[in-house]
Amino acid sequence: MRLAVMLAAAALAIAAPATAEPNLEGFWNLAFDATEPPADMLAKLPPDTVVIEDTGVVEFPENEYGGLRLKPAALAKAQAWKPEDEMDLSRVCLPPSIVYAIQGPFPFEVHQTPELIVLKYEYFDQVRLVHMDGRDHPPADAPHSKMGHSTGRWDGDELVIDTTHIAPSTITNNGLDHSGSIHMVERYRLSPDGNRLTAIQWFEDPEVLDNAGARVIEWTKRPGEYVYPYECDPAFALEYQEAGQARE
Amino acid sequence: MRASPLLFAFIAAGLSAGAAQAHHSFAVYFDPGKDVTITGKVTAFRFTNPHGTIVLDVVDDQGRTREWRAETNAPVVLQRRGWTRSSIKAGEVITIDGWASRDGKP
Repeated sequence: MRLAVMLAAAALAIAAPATAEPNLEGFWNLAFDATEPPADMLAKLPPDTVVIEDTGVVEFPENEYGGLRLKPAALAKAQAWKPEDEMDLSRVCLPPSIVYAIQGPFPFEVHQTPELIVLKYEYFDQVRLVHMDGRDHPPADAPHSKMGHSTGRWDGDELVIDTTHIAPSTITNNGLDHSGSIHMVERYRLSPDGNRLTAIQWFEDPEVLDNAGARVIEWTKRPGEYVYPYECDPAFALEYQEAGQARE
Repeated sequence: MRASPLLFAFIAAGLSAGAAQAHHSFAVYFDPGKDVTITGKVTAFRFTNPHGTIVLDVVDDQGRTREWRAETNAPVVLQRRGWTRSSIKAGEVITIDGWASRDGKP
């Protein structure tokens, strides 16, 4: 009798489902009352990483890079950058890559399955796929894109996203661009009540930077809300062109 | 001939805890340390991303009419606060608090 009970208990233990991963589904809006990031998440950052303070509504003016150490060519290019060059019909609506897009205050939606997580960003209507099926990144010379190629895994209660193949774009929206060789890793952790999502973004780009960079970003969940269409209007550039002509 | 100097300002009313800035960086164009307040008659209002723009005629202390342009927060953000394309209409007289442009040109 005792053996039967023991066998039954063992069978139940084997059949019991594994602890479910956190559910990140929902609409997430920037937390304007951000809390201190968990120390254990920060401790996982690789050495020689600077946490740059330009998340949310904060923007760096020209010639400010938050502690990132630029290689000479990258610094020269950034210093030569003129903001008015972006006010062109062909450039004003160019979306930034996920490296910069993630820092801003625009919301996003998470749609989660065991095999795939989809992130739909309001900023420039961008959509990102995170493959959770164990696949590798494609070969280095595979096509790049602004969202890059992302693979994900669970590390305990944290979602870890590894992204490569990101097309060159801005890092800090003030002339500092990353190359197509940039590598980005993000860690996402859900609060115990499920209403806050904290991310630590880390990136390295040996072609551009001598150190690595990181950002800490926090969002709050807003049930019932959804991403609006951004649909950038390039006619905005004409506002600046008209103003420039009027000054001449 | 009416002078048409242009000075970009930014609507501080849109820059609250819920502000959002698009790829077009405010920080490189506008100075958050230089507040500007203007009152004028609206001549145009464009409400599309990345930023809305308001064009208005402002009469200065010398009685001259000058055209000003102000940039708003991203319309996609303002929509969540109830803004629409009809929130501002040509002919209305409005007051704007904002940041002066960094180039300081009139």
